[in-house]
Amino acid sequence: MKALTLTRRVDTRTLIVSLLTALVAVSVVSLLIGAGSVSPSRVVAMLLGADDADARFVVWELRAPRTLIGLAVGMALGVSGALLQAVTRNPLAEPGLLGVSAGAAFAVALALVLGASAATLRIPVAQMGALAGCLCVLGVARWRGVGNDPVRLVLAGAAFSALLGALTSLILFFDQRSADEIRFWVIGSLAGRRLDDLLAVLPTIVVSGVLIALLARPLAALALGERMASGLGHHPRLIRALIILCVALLVGAATAIAGPIAFVGLVVPFVARAFVGPDIRRTLWVSLPTGPLIVLVADIVSRVVVAPSELPLGVLTALFGAPVLVAVVRARRLPML
Amino acid sequence: MLKQDNASLAPKKAMFNGAMPAASPLRAPDGYWRLGDRDGTGLSLLIEKRSVGVNMLLAVALLLASVAYLSLGTTALDPRAVIQALAGQGDMMTVFMVQELRLPRLVAGCLTGGAFALAGILMQTLARNRLATPGIIGIDNGATAFAVASVVGMGVSLAPSAMALTGAVTAAVLTFGLATGSGTQGYRFIIAGIGVGAVFGAVTQLMLARVGIDTANAAYPWTVGSLNARSGGSVQLLGIGLAVGFVLAFGLARSLTILRFSEATARGLGVSVNARRFQILMLSVVLTALAVAVAGPVGMVGLIGPEIARALSTPRHVPVLAATLSGALVMVLADLLGRTMMAPIELPVGIITAIVGGPWLLWILMRPQRSRP
Repeated sequence: MKALTLTRRVDTRTLIVSLLTALVAVSVVSLLIGAGSVSPSRVVAMLLGADDADARFVVWELRAPRTLIGLAVGMALGVSGALLQAVTRNPLAEPGLLGVSAGAAFAVALALVLGASAATLRIPVAQMGALAGCLCVLGVARWRGVGNDPVRLVLAGAAFSALLGALTSLILFFDQRSADEIRFWVIGSLAGRRLDDLLAVLPTIVVSGVLIALLARPLAALALGERMASGLGHHPRLIRALIILCVALLVGAATAIAGPIAFVGLVVPFVARAFVGPDIRRTLWVSLPTGPLIVLVADIVSRVVVAPSELPLGVLTALFGAPVLVAVVRARRLPML
Repeated sequence: MLKQDNASLAPKKAMFNGAMPAASPLRAPDGYWRLGDRDGTGLSLLIEKRSVGVNMLLAVALLLASVAYLSLGTTALDPRAVIQALAGQGDMMTVFMVQELRLPRLVAGCLTGGAFALAGILMQTLARNRLATPGIIGIDNGATAFAVASVVGMGVSLAPSAMALTGAVTAAVLTFGLATGSGTQGYRFIIAGIGVGAVFGAVTQLMLARVGIDTANAAYPWTVGSLNARSGGSVQLLGIGLAVGFVLAFGLARSLTILRFSEATARGLGVSVNARRFQILMLSVVLTALAVAVAGPVGMVGLIGPEIARALSTPRHVPVLAATLSGALVMVLADLLGRTMMAPIELPVGIITAIVGGPWLLWILMRPQRSRP
């Protein structure tokens, strides 16, 4: 028994190390490749000391911030997906599918119409919206036991997202000015986002990171059942509330920077569980590098496939995320968390 | 005989079942009218009183909504003048506005609404799940993706209608193929459909991202659902398709009623389940595709129309005609709202139906489960 656990541990550790290596490699590739005319060889030459103003500008002003933002967004989405699935005990729970992203988008659109300018208010508003969306769907889930059926919860989330999406486009119809400000944001992309936005959300990301680190053990206990967790001295309601707060903060932060990006929160924990099993602590550790890895790869692909123009990231994540959704549902028995 | 929806041909032998008052075999059961065959030797026709009433009610409501639709707008017209203009009399301007601008759009709205709702109720009955409408299980999105492909000029240059049909069939095949393991029942089937729909939605976005802004604007109505950018040819095609489809659905009505029970029951009652299922599925897919080719994805009508029809009708039959009429009514009202609410800005009808249909969908999900499909 002990030997078994040990090999599992070592496995997890090597897995994380190899994932981190891959992540570093992908980050470098992300600096090298772009939709524009600056080729990888010019970037390498510039890094080796050649005097190339164009390349310097493109790499340090465009691609480096973009890569950093991709790292942060991927981490936030992946981890929040894992947390949401653990809290709802539902392998299909995903911030995008459950209406959290739609809530954030709607809140931002509303704030823009009410006169806020896009630059100042976006992040707190998006986070509030994400929290509201989260609470709405989970409230629905608690009510009359919809949440006991994973698939019905997802349907409720899809309906809720569709509703909010329609309301958002309604608002944008109303107000051409906000439509202009928000149009590029609603698509969900890493292109053209500013590093300032990342700095603005960094505190909330750090706060929720610390909270999650403190809550990981109680959350794992919660997986044994509410009574067992109480017996072990934890407070299930408090844990759940705090975790949902973290999810809302993280998703709100990611959505505020990059716009709504669906399916990352579904795919990342799915992959992580496939490697390390259902323990939430290991899943969280593996999700941490997997999320940015997937987001960055998708982002690089989005720059290359239709060069010289770019593809919205959200489109790509839907393209590879939807098949995973179908795969999860097709499994003969839905894995209960 | 237009109002013979839900009527069933009852041979004489069938009258001797337990529900009948045994005293007089020629009396119709409660809530029915019995037509023909006064002496009880030949065929007779049972017509459900309630369904006649419901269909009359819906038809009158649709008529009133149509008059309102023709009268209201950026320029409000007097309803009497509208009715005169329909006959070609009165002010030239009014005649032009009614006959050339609003009437074609009204016709397109009625046809698409009816087709979406008919397709919806067929699919719901087939899957025995009231959430399984073509819009939700991704068929709308498939049709849209292919139609957009033809608008932005990729691949073969077929008309949007033909492309929409191809897309709808592709999406249906994918959804049903992916759901084979879990059966057509239950929510997993729907989630498979949502996944397929998400892929097609992404493909649509991808194509729109690749083309120039003008082409993207031309394709925009396809992505939200609007009656604004319909082509005459596809409306005519839809008209023919809806007429034929309705007759076929009417012929399938008895099988539909029986298919709501278990498969074994349906077989026992003499329905060739697999053949009927295939016919129903194809009919639903074709109707959806033709409607999408006119108005884009306004799939929520396929959820709302049948819901209204079922709420009004008795559960004895599948209310095919009532669903079609309610679908047309919902579509006309939604487009009227979209045209007038923020005039002169015109809201796409797809947004209106999504705002109305979303809460409805949530309500269906949250209310306590009942066995009725």
